[in-house]
Amino acid sequence: MRVVHPESLTEAQEIARDAGGTACFVAGATALQLLWANGGAKPDILIDLGQIAELKGVQAEGGHVRAGALATLSDVSSDVGLQTGAPLLAHAIGSVAGPAVRNLATIGGNIANRNGCLLPVLLALEARLVVFRSGAIAEIALGDWLRETPAATDIVCAVNVPALGDEVVWIYRKVGLRRTFTPSIVAIAGVVHVDNGRFGECRIAVGGGVVSPSRLISTELALQGKSIESCDWTAVSETILREVEAPDDLFRSGAYRRKAAAGTIVHALQAKLGGVAYHAHADPPPPALARGEIELGKKTLPDRWFTRPDMPEKVDATLSYLTDVREDGMLVGRILRAGVPHARLLSIDVSAAEALPGVAAVVTHRDIRGENGFGIVFQDQPALCHDKVRYAGDPVAAVAAVDAATAEVALGLIRVAYEPLPLVDDPEIALDPRSAAVHDSGNVQTELHFDRGDIEAGFLQAAHVVEEIYEMPRQMHGFLETEGGFARLEADGTLHVAAGGQHNYRDRMQLSRILGIPEERIRVTSSPTGGSFGGKDELTVQPALALLAIKSGKAVRLHLDRTESVVAGTKRNPMRLRMRTGCDRDGRLVAQEVDLISDSGAYASLSPGVLETALEHAAGPYVIANIRTRGRLAYTNNGVGGAFRGFGANQMTFAVECQMDRLAGLCGLSPSDMRRRNLRTPGMPGYLGQRVSLTERCDEMLEAAMTSRLWSCERGLSPDGADYVGVGMALSYQGNGLGTIPHDEGGGVLRLAEDGRIEALLGLDELGQGLHAAITSQVADFVGCTRDDVRPITGDTLLAPDSGSTTASRGSYVLWNTARRTAPEFVRRMTAAAGLRLDREPQDLCLVAGGIADRRSNSGDLLISYVDLAAALDPAERPSVSTHFAFPKTEHDGGNARYIFAFGATIARVAVSRATGEARVLDLDLHSAAGPVIDVASYLGQMEGGAMQGLGFTLLEDSLMRDGAYLTTNLDTYMMPGIADTAERLSVFAQESLDEGDDLGPRGVGELGIASVTPAIVNAVGDAIGFWPSRSPLSPEAIHDYMERMQ
Amino acid sequence: MSAARVSFRLNGVERALDVTAETRLSEILRDLLWLTASKVACGVGRCGACTVLMNGKPVNACLAMAWQLEGADIVSPEGLDILPETRIVRQAMTEENAFQCGYCAPGFVTVLVGLLRNEPEADLSRIKAALEGNICRCTGYHSILRGAQAAAEAVRAERSDLS
Repeated sequence: MRVVHPESLTEAQEIARDAGGTACFVAGATALQLLWANGGAKPDILIDLGQIAELKGVQAEGGHVRAGALATLSDVSSDVGLQTGAPLLAHAIGSVAGPAVRNLATIGGNIANRNGCLLPVLLALEARLVVFRSGAIAEIALGDWLRETPAATDIVCAVNVPALGDEVVWIYRKVGLRRTFTPSIVAIAGVVHVDNGRFGECRIAVGGGVVSPSRLISTELALQGKSIESCDWTAVSETILREVEAPDDLFRSGAYRRKAAAGTIVHALQAKLGGVAYHAHADPPPPALARGEIELGKKTLPDRWFTRPDMPEKVDATLSYLTDVREDGMLVGRILRAGVPHARLLSIDVSAAEALPGVAAVVTHRDIRGENGFGIVFQDQPALCHDKVRYAGDPVAAVAAVDAATAEVALGLIRVAYEPLPLVDDPEIALDPRSAAVHDSGNVQTELHFDRGDIEAGFLQAAHVVEEIYEMPRQMHGFLETEGGFARLEADGTLHVAAGGQHNYRDRMQLSRILGIPEERIRVTSSPTGGSFGGKDELTVQPALALLAIKSGKAVRLHLDRTESVVAGTKRNPMRLRMRTGCDRDGRLVAQEVDLISDSGAYASLSPGVLETALEHAAGPYVIANIRTRGRLAYTNNGVGGAFRGFGANQMTFAVECQMDRLAGLCGLSPSDMRRRNLRTPGMPGYLGQRVSLTERCDEMLEAAMTSRLWSCERGLSPDGADYVGVGMALSYQGNGLGTIPHDEGGGVLRLAEDGRIEALLGLDELGQGLHAAITSQVADFVGCTRDDVRPITGDTLLAPDSGSTTASRGSYVLWNTARRTAPEFVRRMTAAAGLRLDREPQDLCLVAGGIADRRSNSGDLLISYVDLAAALDPAERPSVSTHFAFPKTEHDGGNARYIFAFGATIARVAVSRATGEARVLDLDLHSAAGPVIDVASYLGQMEGGAMQGLGFTLLEDSLMRDGAYLTTNLDTYMMPGIADTAERLSVFAQESLDEGDDLGPRGVGELGIASVTPAIVNAVGDAIGFWPSRSPLSPEAIHDYMERMQ
Repeated sequence: MSAARVSFRLNGVERALDVTAETRLSEILRDLLWLTASKVACGVGRCGACTVLMNGKPVNACLAMAWQLEGADIVSPEGLDILPETRIVRQAMTEENAFQCGYCAPGFVTVLVGLLRNEPEADLSRIKAALEGNICRCTGYHSILRGAQAAAEAVRAERSDLS
């Protein structure tokens, strides 16, 4: 590709004309990367218009504002003259892309692409384009230009907008997939002249995304001349619905686009013309804390607020992630993905790729010396495919080359022959024995049943029954750092594999099995990593990295781009969950039946555990005498499912907690009364009949929910008529640990390092959760030193012992118990060693900030610092204490049962837009009871972050697939919450007490924040409008349709 | 794909590189110069992790191609220290423990430095608007907003001390 920089319009046009169809004009060029990533052809020539002076600048003069095509969107919107003359345009630009994009993107480009959401704005403003065509400047009305067949050699030079006079009202609204930085579902704009209480000249337009930009002429005529006060808005709305032409796309129907256009136009006009002030939903009153409850924050708990040890290097951007490692001679790896969802693999020919200069190694299944299968539970996933491929992201081969460009060319030279097999893409159909088998064992990966009592007799007692099918999406983990890292053979022959993970010793074991290399000859580094949420729990790129490093004998780095990460990586299992729940007249639950189908995708990974955990939470914290559950996990060709924060419990909680609110409504009970009548009491057996730990806090969490400040906020229709506001609650009851069946041990080492720091060695991983803050906190507490005296060593099999996985909210217990068990002996050895040097009795000494002090002295004076003590000791004399223990479990052999639980209550205040059916979360109050808070900042971060991921799951996120292929392959259409989507206010509370005799310490909160966000939001929607959506992400269309019917 | 010379200022130093015209700034930084502080998490301008300052304004390094860099003044997270607001922003974000995994942090910090240099008066709604192009998956954004507000207050306090 060549870039040319003409200095005149004539020159630019001549280049375009002579180049034929392989040239394109560019200015900011911000649309090109996405276009090319989606398969758009790269032109031979980019004609940069940036040097052409006459396309620059913004000027306001003579009742017009002229914006040169090269003016960036941010320059246009910040121009004072334009803000005065065309405030509608300045305002609307704020909804185009994101701020950084607007610093490059130009207004000319936005227009010339013909689908931007500024087009309806410019139509409403009666903008005229200055266009250079056939060697001459022409001015043409935007509407006329849009109706023309696009001419590739036309150059948009400027846009002229007549300045708006007084007595003019303008409206604008972009409806998207989220609140900001979103593709457009529909954008509306209007300019309305007001003439003595009547509509004067009106210009209303729609556009955006797939909606063709166009004026709504019938609507304009319907308004013009009419009295504003007696306007028949229903008729206006109907006119708009008839007039807007809008197709369906993947995300929203054309019908919804029409309804959203009608709703937003009518509401915006009513608000502006009726003088209705925008109603800002008032802040709730300050929280009333329960006894023993704290509100987490730097301001509320200044004495307990510490800077996390990893924070400075993260904020300063000096932390080197495993995908940031670069060194001389390091090769770049790439993986060839199947690209087809289900096929027999007939042959792989890598000879051309191997022959390409710059290629150091190409690996296929033939290079695997060990067992070509991995998986935390079942080893059904090939490291590199050999006989068939089961999903489009299946790896078939990998290359290592001198640079990324060579590696890419090499991938294209690998010839793979496939024989297509029937696609299995519906989990329900997959379970039918007549379906094509994804694995020889059949498509039923797991089937689980649990029965208690007499379900039929139970339902006979029921006065009310709610039956619903809950459908939940394939959520993407969305860690910002996609999978990657490096591998190399060390001088001693050790294979070092460094890639983000959640259990390095298990990764090492799996690699050993694949590679046929003893575990002791492999070092795995698994952190720091840029987020995981379960998505790096299973092996990701480690097998390919290891194979390439071994074969090439060189260091290799590899980092998936987002699209490859989407295609290859695990996702939250999509679930379809039928739940039938009955209660008696008084609201006591009498029976519940659950039938759950989960899509495992092509391999098992941890999906069987997710299914099991979901079913274990089938009654939530409630007592139901008669219950029957069935869960089935189906193999399909739909990507791969696996671990995701919450591990199935949050999906089940969605259903259980919504059933409770709906049954409450049928019984005439409040949500809290309904729950109180059914809540488990401390000391009862767990759901599976197992003994559970002390410190149950269901009552306290229900009390916190009942007395929440949010119930006193205004509910119902907002004063400006824009929203229905509701409040909803849900309880969280989240198991901690892996359960009775999986092997689960932990441990670590506490030692004095050569430089005098107290090192805590734990094989756990820092994924963002604040592991290092938690470790330093607990070591300091148990030893008596300060946090700054402690250095955590984590995430590397060479440097730290096996502490088990950083999953299932188990890490907090492991690090706490490690500190608790090692500290007494460590202190004893430290004081003994210091006593010898100081000629003092060890029992008179203690550990304090920075060193050893006299136990009886209050001065804090050090007798010897840790630094001096370490320097005085031979390496063998320096104290080092290790511990190893089993993670606490219950006794239960009838399935996998949890022993420890954490408790919570989520209360949500939600505003449902009448115009669009969108739900906006105003407040989220998260109450929690998970034992002592070991680090306030980390606890708060986990709760807030979990809540936001839950909000995304509830309102925005779905990885859409068709025919086994992802349709949402990057962050342009996969909508993670942005800053405008977060709850306007988010508060986290904790009750820290433990029961007497509870020696289990702090519970983990990695999964507690997300646990019940979905049902709290849905119950708030139910409170607002009387409709409980059962499918997430919530459909604005379904909500809008319901509101229409209820009016 | 023939390489051509492009000259620009990077972190205060004049650089001249021979790269193909379509090479992206994110590739130049991370893969050619091994400046890995800015991250790439989407590659299509939708997450803000690769944000740098270009002529003082935040820009997605994954969208800017080599041909667009001629004569530009680029500041990557490695070079932010040359701007006085950086110390304040970093200190405020650190004290608030604004981030978790930290992968998005360079982008957020770069945007905030760019914002507060030009608009020290920025209030909460302005800060929110400026951060609309940055995705964070770990936090609920509130920790970032708390840190950003503290940073804005500190920038204002320092400026009023100077005046």
